[in-house]
Amino acid sequence: MGTLIIDNIVAGYGSGPDILRGLSLTVESCKTYCIIGPNGAGKSTLIKAIAGLLKPRAGKIEFKGELINGLRADQVLQRGICYVPSDRSLFPDMTVKENLRMGGYILRNSKLVESRIEEIFCLFPVLREKSSQMGKTLSGGQQQLASIARAMMLKPELLMLDEPSLGLAPKVVQQIFSTINSLRQQGLTILLVEQNARKGLENADQGVVLDLGTISFERPAVEVLLDARIQELYLGKRTRPLQVEARK
Amino acid sequence: MTQMIQILILGLALGGVYALMSSGMTLVFGVMKIVNLAHAAFIILAAYISFWLFKNISIDPILSIFITMPVMFLIGVLYYRLLFASRADNPHFTDITVLVTFASALVIEGLLSYFFTGIYRSTNPDYATKPFLIGPFFVPQSQVFATAISILVIIMLWLFLKHTRVGNSIRATMQNRNAAQVVGVNVAWVSMVSFGIGLALAGAAGSLLSFIFTFFPSKHVAWIGMLMSLVVLGGMGSLMGAMLSSFLLAVIASYVSFYLGPSWAPITFYLALFLILLFRPQGLLGKKVES
Amino acid sequence: MAEITDSTKNSKPLTKGSKLKNKVILALMIILILFPILQVTRDGYNYWLHMLLYVFLYAIMATSWNLIGGFAGYISLGHNVFFGIGAYLSGMVFVYLQISPFLTAPLAGILTMVGGLLFGLIALRTRGSTFIISTIALVLLVNELLDKWKFSGGTNGLPMSMIKMDGQFAKIPYYYYLLVIMILALLTSYYIRHSKFGLGLRAISQDEDKAEVAGIPTRQYKILAFGISGLFIGMAGAIWGSYLTYLRPSIFLPVNIGTTIVLMAILGGKGTVSGPAIGAAIMIAVNEFVVAKLGATELNIVVTGLILIFVLLYFPDGIVGTLKAKDRLPSFLDWG
Repeated sequence: MGTLIIDNIVAGYGSGPDILRGLSLTVESCKTYCIIGPNGAGKSTLIKAIAGLLKPRAGKIEFKGELINGLRADQVLQRGICYVPSDRSLFPDMTVKENLRMGGYILRNSKLVESRIEEIFCLFPVLREKSSQMGKTLSGGQQQLASIARAMMLKPELLMLDEPSLGLAPKVVQQIFSTINSLRQQGLTILLVEQNARKGLENADQGVVLDLGTISFERPAVEVLLDARIQELYLGKRTRPLQVEARK
Repeated sequence: MTQMIQILILGLALGGVYALMSSGMTLVFGVMKIVNLAHAAFIILAAYISFWLFKNISIDPILSIFITMPVMFLIGVLYYRLLFASRADNPHFTDITVLVTFASALVIEGLLSYFFTGIYRSTNPDYATKPFLIGPFFVPQSQVFATAISILVIIMLWLFLKHTRVGNSIRATMQNRNAAQVVGVNVAWVSMVSFGIGLALAGAAGSLLSFIFTFFPSKHVAWIGMLMSLVVLGGMGSLMGAMLSSFLLAVIASYVSFYLGPSWAPITFYLALFLILLFRPQGLLGKKVES
Repeated sequence: MAEITDSTKNSKPLTKGSKLKNKVILALMIILILFPILQVTRDGYNYWLHMLLYVFLYAIMATSWNLIGGFAGYISLGHNVFFGIGAYLSGMVFVYLQISPFLTAPLAGILTMVGGLLFGLIALRTRGSTFIISTIALVLLVNELLDKWKFSGGTNGLPMSMIKMDGQFAKIPYYYYLLVIMILALLTSYYIRHSKFGLGLRAISQDEDKAEVAGIPTRQYKILAFGISGLFIGMAGAIWGSYLTYLRPSIFLPVNIGTTIVLMAILGGKGTVSGPAIGAAIMIAVNEFVVAKLGATELNIVVTGLILIFVLLYFPDGIVGTLKAKDRLPSFLDWG
C-alpha cells in the first residue's frame, strides 16, 4: 500500500546527456500504470532510476513517504520495489530454482527463502515442472515467467516490468499478461513499460506517455487507447473507426 | 604400454596443480573481466613466502597454505581497491587491466629479485624427493600431494560457490552482472572479494609449487605463458574449462616431454593457444565472445 | 579520444607556426646528420653515438608499434618478436652465406612484414585481451624455438664477425642506416596518420563494430597495419644484430623489450606521430641517468613497472597527447 511519487527527476548515463528531464509522476497504490512512448524517450531509464540502478542527477523519488533516490539497488528492494528487466536477465547457468533463490538474495534467512520458493511454485506451477532446468534452456515465455516469479520472491508492493512482451509470440504475450493481471488482482502496484502500446494499455488502469524525457500525457488507460493523437503516434492509425465515429 | 601409462600418470599428477594455478586467473576474469597477467608473479610471490617460512621457521610448505592464502587474499583485496575498483565502468577496462597487471608483474619480479636475488630456489620437505611406487609405476610424492591438495582446494571452492550466499552471488555476477544487480547483489563488493579469492588460490598454488619446481623471480614469464594457454584453451571465465584444459595439456605435455625432451613442453602450451585461437577462440567451454 | 577529423584534405596555408615547425625539424635533421663528423674528426664521441643509436632503434620500434597499438588500438605486448626475426634472418644469412646485413636488411624487413601479415591473419580474429595474450605467446614461442634450433645457435646464439672498420669509425655506418630507417618509419607513420587508411584505423580503435558497419574494411586494415608495423622493426633488427656482432634469443626476444616499447609509445603518446619517438628518447635518457646515479639493479624494472602503471592510469594519452589536449603542444612536435 504505497504511493510512489516521482518529483522532477533529471537522469542520464555516465557523462552523457540528460535523458529524463524534469519528469514528475505519481503512481497510486494498487493501480497498474502503463508507460508508452518512442524509443530513447527514457522509459527504461525511469525504471532504472526508481530501482536504484541509476542515480538521478536531480529531483526526488518518494515511496511510502520515504525518499529513495540515491539508495542502492538492494536498499530499494528492501523497501518493496522489484524490477523485471527487459531482457529477462535470468542466470543462464543456474537452475530455475537457483534463479528463484537468487531472487530472495537480500533475505538472509535461507529457510524463509525456501518457503518463498514453495509459494512461488504454487503461484507459477509451470516453473515447478522446470525447477531443475537451466535458465538458458527455457523458452522466451518461460524465461519471462521465471523473471517475474523471481521478482515476486520478495513479495514486493511495487512491481516494475520493462517490456514484458519483448520478443514473444502473441499467444505467449497473452499468457504473460494474464499472469500480470492475476498479480493486479492481488493488489500489487504495477508499473509497466511497453513497446506494444496497445497490449500494455489494455491491461492497465492508467496510461502514461513519456516523450523526450518528460510525461507528455497521462489519462486512464482506456482514454489513452481511444485518443486519436495517441492512436496515430503509437498505436497505428485509427484502431476503432466505428466506435470513434459513433461517439461523434 | 607400461611406459604410456606411466607418462599418463605423471601428466595427471601435474594436472591438478595446473588446474589450481589457472582457476584463480579464470575466476577473476569471469567475475569482473580482468585479465591478470600478474597471476603467475603472485604465485611466485607466494612460493617465496613459503620458501621463507620453510627456511626460517621450518614451516612445511603444505601447511604454509594456511598462511599464504589469507595473506594473498588481503593483498588481492587491496590491489583491486587501489587499482581497479574505481575504473570498472571504463569501456576499455579489460585492456587497461592487461597492461596494468603486466606492469605489476614486473614490479613484483623486481622486488623479489631485490630481496631474494636470482638464485634458483625451492623448498625441500622430505617428500619432495621420494616417489610413490605402485606396481610398475612411480609417481613423485610431491606431485601426488600437490595435486591432491589442489583438487581438495578446488572442491572446496566449488562447494563455496554453489552453497554459500557469497558464493552464489559470485556465480550470479559471473553469469549475468546486470541481473545480479537487479536482485540486490553488491557487484562492486563481489568483485573485490572475488579478486581476493583469485589471489588466495594463487597463494595456495604458490605454496604447492614451491616444492615441485625450482623458481626464481623471472620465472613468472614462463608460467604466465602457460597459464594464458590454460585459461584461453579452457575458455576465459570458465572454471570447468580451466580444469579440463589443465589436465588435458598436462598429459599432452607429459608425452611431449618424454618423446621430444622436457624443454619442448612449453611449446605444447603455446601451440595449443594458437590452435584454439585459430579454430575456436572462445575456448573449449567458454561463451561466444562479445567485443 | 577526440572526434575523428578528416585530415586528408590538409591544405592549410603556411602559417607562422608551421614555418617555425619546419625550421625546427630541419635544424634537428641537420644536427643529426652532421653529428658523426665530430666523431670522425675528433674521436671520443662513441658513447654519444651509441646512445643515439639506442634512441633511433627504440624510436623505430615504438613508432612502428604505434601503427597497430596506437592508431588501431590493438595492443601488442610481444612486438619485439619482429626485432628478433629480422635480426636472425639477416644474421644467419650473413653467417652462412656471407652476405652483409647492410644489403639484406631491407629484405629481412620485408620478410618480417610478411610474417606479420600471416600472423595477423590468425591473431586479429580475436579482440582486446585475447589478442594481447596471443602476441605475448608469440614472442615466447619464437624465443623457445630459437633456443632450441641448432642452426641458429640455440640459446648461445651465433657470433658474427665485425665489419672491417677502425674502432673510431665503426659505429658510423650503423648510425646512418638506423637514422634513415627511423626517418622512413616516422614518415610512414605521418602519411598513414593523414590518410584514409589512418582514419579507418582510428575508427577501429574507437569502435570497431561501428567502423565495420560504416563500410571500413576492418580486417584488411588491421592486418595491413600489423604487417607494416613489422617492416621497419625487422630492418632495424637486422642492423642491430650486426652492430652487436652477436645473435642470441635473450638479446632480442625477452618480454621486457616488448614491454619497454609499449611503455615508450604510451608515455610519449600513443596515437600521435611524434609521441612514441619522444617517449623513446625520454625513457632512454632517464634510464641512463638512473643507472649512472644508482647503478643497474633489479629495482630498474620496479621503476619501469611503476612508471608504466602510473602513466596507464593517470596519463593514458601520454606526454604529447596530454599537451595536445591542453593546446600546449609546441608546433614542431605536432605531427598529427
